[in-house]
Amino acid sequence: MKNTTHFGFKQVATNDKQSLVRDVFNSVASKYDLMNDVLSFGAHRLWKRYTIASSNVKAGDKVLDIAGGTGDLAIEFREKAGDNGQVILSDINAAMLNEGRKNLTNKGVFGVAFVQLNAQYLPFDNNTFDCVSIAFGLRNVTDKDQALTEMYRILKPGGCLLILEFSTTDSAFLKKIYDFYSFNIMPIIGGIIADDEASYQYLAESIRKHPDQETLKYMVLDAGFDFCEYHNLSGGIVALHKGIKV
Amino acid sequence: MQLFAIFWRKQTVILERTLNRLIINGEVDISALNGKTIGFSLQDLPLDVHFICTNDRVFVLSVTDKLTDVNVKLTPTVFIYLLHGKDLTELLIQDKISIHGDVKTAQLLVDLLKEVDIDLEEMTSKYTGDTIANQLVKLTKKFNLTDIQSNNPLEIIKNWMSTFVNQSN
Ligand SMILES: C[S@@+](CC[C@H](N)C(=O)[O-])C[C@H]1O[C@@H](n2cnc3c(N)ncnc32)[C@H](O)[C@@H]1O
Repeated sequence: MKNTTHFGFKQVATNDKQSLVRDVFNSVASKYDLMNDVLSFGAHRLWKRYTIASSNVKAGDKVLDIAGGTGDLAIEFREKAGDNGQVILSDINAAMLNEGRKNLTNKGVFGVAFVQLNAQYLPFDNNTFDCVSIAFGLRNVTDKDQALTEMYRILKPGGCLLILEFSTTDSAFLKKIYDFYSFNIMPIIGGIIADDEASYQYLAESIRKHPDQETLKYMVLDAGFDFCEYHNLSGGIVALHKGIKV
Repeated sequence: MQLFAIFWRKQTVILERTLNRLIINGEVDISALNGKTIGFSLQDLPLDVHFICTNDRVFVLSVTDKLTDVNVKLTPTVFIYLLHGKDLTELLIQDKISIHGDVKTAQLLVDLLKEVDIDLEEMTSKYTGDTIANQLVKLTKKFNLTDIQSNNPLEIIKNWMSTFVNQSN
């Protein structure tokens, strides 16, 4: 692994990135859901709905949601996998995981397990899960290749990986507006609602540093997946990558 | 062309969901197809589909950069004949369809597709007629109109997001 890596537009020591990311999510945890709704104008719910619809999860399946935060995906997976299935909501950050636990309890969703973990080191046996998901989490992971290899390892043959993440739009017009919005407006809203402009500046920067659709597709294939395809959502602002282990 | 691709991907998601629902409900049995990957190309159209049958489920992908066990190439019209029960071997003899790999596997897939209660025929013919072109023109006009009507960057992003997401759903 290289000695330095990016944290938004900054170059930082690789070993420091995880704790810097932790600080960001510690700071935004309690306002995370509200901010998601405000900043995406509610669109994140549609992106997540599309992810669930593409998941192929059925009753009895085992599902791991990585970087699951407040649990939007886990709630839907729980319903699909049913009482005979198993859904694990995981995150590296205890504050986010606590928000997830509160959220599920408030919504009357029970039967989901919570595990604090780093996507790079998944504490599960080979060939355990039918579906592994990570929504808006991969760009925060320090060693993405290692995380993808781990995801491949714990998926059963026939299992499917879903990566929902901000991506790259190839519409010049949309890019202009989106850049203006994410660098000038998003941090200000972050300052007003979550009292934390810097974290939302990082979030905007981290999106730009994240691999584009094609690059991520080949990273997924390099991790061992037999097939990978992506669907652009909202003109490529977000993409859903689907990797399949045969 | 990009909108074409978006439209097609939406159809593959619907097809995948429908097939898997049939499997879950026990209406079709894919055990004979387990472990097989089948490429299906409708000639002259950007419609390549991969059916990946594994672990009692089917994935329908539009990726093309992978070798499959069986590759079926046919024209949209022949595809419609097949769905109407025309014999695969007969079409093969008449050179109307080309199959690389095991013909039996291809036949099993065709049998499976016949069970799907979404209108595959209608779905395919959309690409052959003017219907899709008209729809795309309408959509393009709608995007431009939305952008021109709004001077507010937030409004523009919001409109783009919801239009694209609605399309994708
Ligand atoms: C933007 S939030 C996404 C939360 C949720 N998936 C959603 O879509 O609303 C990103 C999450 O990734 C988590 N995260 C960051 N690095 C991680 C890592 N290395 N392993 C697991 N989770 C990580 C953060 O703690 C945070 O909860």
